[in-house]
Amino acid sequence: MEHNQPPAFFVRGPSPLARLAFFAAVSITLMAVDARLHYLTEIRQGFMAALQPLEVIVTGPVAAYQRVRDYFVTQDSLAEANRRIHLQLLQKNADLQRFHTLEQENAHLRNLLGAAQVSVHATKLGEIVHAGRDLFTHKVVVNVGARHGVTAGRAVIDEYGVVGQVTRVYPFSSEVTLATDKDLAIPVQVERTGMRAIAFGHGRGNVVDLPYLPVSTDIQQGDILVTSGFDGVYPAGLAVAKVNLVERRADSPFAHIVCTPVAGISSHRQVLIVEVSAAPPSAINIKQPPAPATPSHHAPSKP
Amino acid sequence: MIRPDFVLVILLYWMLRNPNLCNVGTAWMMGLLVDLASGSLFGQYALTYALTGFFALHYQRRLVLFNEGQRAFYVLLLLLLAQVTLLVLKLFSGSGLPGWGYFLPSLSGVLLWQLIALLPLAGVAPDVQR
Repeated sequence: MEHNQPPAFFVRGPSPLARLAFFAAVSITLMAVDARLHYLTEIRQGFMAALQPLEVIVTGPVAAYQRVRDYFVTQDSLAEANRRIHLQLLQKNADLQRFHTLEQENAHLRNLLGAAQVSVHATKLGEIVHAGRDLFTHKVVVNVGARHGVTAGRAVIDEYGVVGQVTRVYPFSSEVTLATDKDLAIPVQVERTGMRAIAFGHGRGNVVDLPYLPVSTDIQQGDILVTSGFDGVYPAGLAVAKVNLVERRADSPFAHIVCTPVAGISSHRQVLIVEVSAAPPSAINIKQPPAPATPSHHAPSKP
Repeated sequence: MIRPDFVLVILLYWMLRNPNLCNVGTAWMMGLLVDLASGSLFGQYALTYALTGFFALHYQRRLVLFNEGQRAFYVLLLLLLAQVTLLVLKLFSGSGLPGWGYFLPSLSGVLLWQLIALLPLAGVAPDVQR
C-alpha cells in the first residue's frame, strides 16, 4: 500500500523540459496574437483594473513618505517658493493679457479666412505614478485613466513643453510614451526659421533625433523645436526639444542632428493631458464633389 | 538603470529552494504578470522567465554541493541568460539595440542575491513525506 506511489520528493509532475516546451509555445502564440492581431487589449485592461489595488498598496509607502516629507518642509523654503511663484505669476499675467488680444485677433483673422478653428478642449492634470520597468521603451504610467475621460492618442505636456503621448488607457491609469521613445514621432517646426520636420525619439538616453534633413538645412545649435500642430494631436507652438548638436558630414546627404527634450520629466511629477479637437468648419462652404456621372438627363452637358 | 530584476531574483530563490512549490509554470505566470504591469508585448517576460526557470531547475539538485561563490556565479549566469533572451525577443519585435549598460541589472541582481542568500537555501530539502 505504501509502495503504490512514489514519495512526494520524486513527484515532479511533467518534466521541466515538457513544461518549458508547453509554456514557450503558449508565450510565442501570445506574442504573435498581441503584436499582429491586437486581440488582447481588453484582457490587458481588465487585468490592469484588477491589479490597481495591488499597485496602490505597493506604492503606498512611497506615497506616504512623500506626504510626510512634504509636510516637514521648512517655512523658509515655502516662503522662497511662494515668492518665486508670485514673480512667475506676475510675468505670466502680463503675457496672458497680450495673449488674449492676440487670440481674439487670431480668431477674427481665421473667421475672415474661413479656416478651421483648432481649439484645445479638455485638459486633465495627472501625476506620474511610476516609470516603466522596461529598459527598451520610454514610458511612464499616469494616475488618470479611462474613468477620468482620458483616451488614447492625447498629447501630454508639462509646464516646459511636450512630454509625449498617451498610448494605452487602462480604467484607472494610462501609459504615456515619452518623446524620447523610439516609436514616437512628433511633427515639429524650427522656431527660428519656421522649417517643418518630424522629430523621432532616439530610444536610448534623453535624446530626440531630427533625421532626414539635408546637409544644407538652416539649423544650428540652440534652435528650439516647437510643435507644428499639423497632426491634430499636439497643440501648435509647444516647445519639444532644443538642438544640441548639428553635424554635417561629407559622406552623408543628411545632417546629423541631436536634440534634448525640454520637458522636465525626471524632475517633477505633474503632467497635463490635453485633447485637441478641430471644430467643425461651420462657416466654410465646402465644394460638393461632382455627383457621379449617371446616364440620366441630369448629366451636365458641355457647353 | 541598474535596478535589478526583483521578481526574477526572488523567483530564482524559491525555485532553487523548493522546486515543488515553484516551477517553470510559476515562473511563466509571474512573467505574464510582469508583461501586464510593464505594458510590454504579452508573453515576452513570460517566455524569458520560463526559460530561466528551466535552467535553474535543471541544476537545482547539484546546487547544494556548490559553495556560496559558485552559487552566486550560477545565479549571475541565469540572470544574464534572462537578459539575453529578453534582448533577442525585443529585437524580434522591433526594438533598437541598447548599450552595454543593459547588462548592469544582472550585476546588481547578483548583489541582491547575496542578501537573499543569507536566508537558508542549502540543506533545506523539501519535506519528504513517508
